[in-house]
Amino acid sequence: MNTRLAPGEVLLALLFAILGILWMVAAARMPVWSGFVPQSGFMPLWYGITLTALAAAILANLFLRRDPGAKEEPIGKPLVVLAALAASIVGLDLIGFAPSIFLLLLVLFAAVERLPVLRSLAVATAVTAVLFLIFRTWLRVPLPVGPLGI
Amino acid sequence: MELLGHLAQGFIAAATPINLLMCLLGVVLGQIIGVLPGIGPSAAIALLLPLTYGASPTGAIIMFAGLYYGAQYGGTLTSVLINVPGESSSVMTTLDGYQMALQGRGGVALGIAAIGSFIAGTLGTLGLMLLAPPLAKVALAFGPPEYFALVLLGLTALAAVGGSVLKGLATGVAGLLLGTVGIDPQVGAPRFDFGQLWLLDGVDFIILAVALFGVGEVLASCRMGSADPILNVGRVLPNREEWRQARMAILRGSGIGFLIGCLPAAGATIASFVAYIAEKKVAKDPSRFGKGAIEGVAGPEAANNASATGVLVPLLTLGIPTSATAAILLGAFQNYGLQPGPQLFQ
Repeated sequence: MNTRLAPGEVLLALLFAILGILWMVAAARMPVWSGFVPQSGFMPLWYGITLTALAAAILANLFLRRDPGAKEEPIGKPLVVLAALAASIVGLDLIGFAPSIFLLLLVLFAAVERLPVLRSLAVATAVTAVLFLIFRTWLRVPLPVGPLGI
Repeated sequence: MELLGHLAQGFIAAATPINLLMCLLGVVLGQIIGVLPGIGPSAAIALLLPLTYGASPTGAIIMFAGLYYGAQYGGTLTSVLINVPGESSSVMTTLDGYQMALQGRGGVALGIAAIGSFIAGTLGTLGLMLLAPPLAKVALAFGPPEYFALVLLGLTALAAVGGSVLKGLATGVAGLLLGTVGIDPQVGAPRFDFGQLWLLDGVDFIILAVALFGVGEVLASCRMGSADPILNVGRVLPNREEWRQARMAILRGSGIGFLIGCLPAAGATIASFVAYIAEKKVAKDPSRFGKGAIEGVAGPEAANNASATGVLVPLLTLGIPTSATAAILLGAFQNYGLQPGPQLFQ
């Protein structure tokens, strides 16, 4: 019987393990206990230990009970979306909120979803304008401003 | 009899055309605010407070009440239609509400949430009138051990929601771990800020909700090859069978939400979690939950609206605000010359 591990599940467990270990190491450098009172590092240390233990248990569970029906899922498109999102976050401070969001939406509609270019442009412009009106104009939220002044 | 007389006077005051209009305005604004992530009822009331200068105190307070309840329901709209909770109290609604929407029953989910919210709000108001003073004393008797037990209940209940208890617990602990980012409230020392100034305030719930639910949904729809927009919500009113399934969930959610809402700092979020778990525990077939069970929408929605009334118990009877929204409401009352507390009703 061909049994396979779902890579996403293994990745999640490893991520939890890394997070737990990171927190344990950082918390151990903080004061953990003073006299009879726990200090800043006490709870993070125990959270880190617990999370690492649970991650190990999840990994063990995955290896011991392999799902024979586990199939690989395409990850190309999600990776493109994640990359576009990361680029837009970096671009917020560089080119401003409105251009960054506009470009993100354009990439999502035109490149990822393969919608017609004109429709993508129109929708991206409209959504960016609405967001700008709500958050910048009406609610006066101080959004990042780029070289274009928006 | 005196209570009925006061109730009748309240209805007479509220039923004028201008006050009903203020209520409508408050509810509509509240729903818009509930839909928008990042802005909760407390921020909305604080923003709209200056606009009510010059209005009558009765009308302004009615508008704020409408805004509070409307915001609780507004979070449901995005939870059901796009699987992104607008408020932290609408997180549990995404589990079954969105599944109902994918099955073409989005209208029923929204309808039962509205009906449940109305019933819960009404029952909560009755509870406020009849039980407020004794409940306020019990609520204030809650100490650190009781709060710890309540938080533990909420977290273990979360672990039981998903299919895997191990993953549920790990996710809960990961959330607690992320909660340690920022300044330690006991000692005042920064933790896990990695040298970044903006991490000193910690990780905001809305950022997590949008990242986990919103971005997660976008990535999941990429995986499926096409988006699944909920364009047709179908009928809004539940049929007889759906009402039969949901009515007890609404009653249980109302009771749970009201009692938990009375507790300082507990709030609508914990109320909705406990209500969901309670429905799952009493259901004849718990495997339906997470796949579009109407009780999974009715219970939490009733609980979060009932908790909004529960918050008013310590506020009005003792003058103690037990949540951020209650604190803003206290400020609003004081602005109009009303001092909530034991003297308010004398």
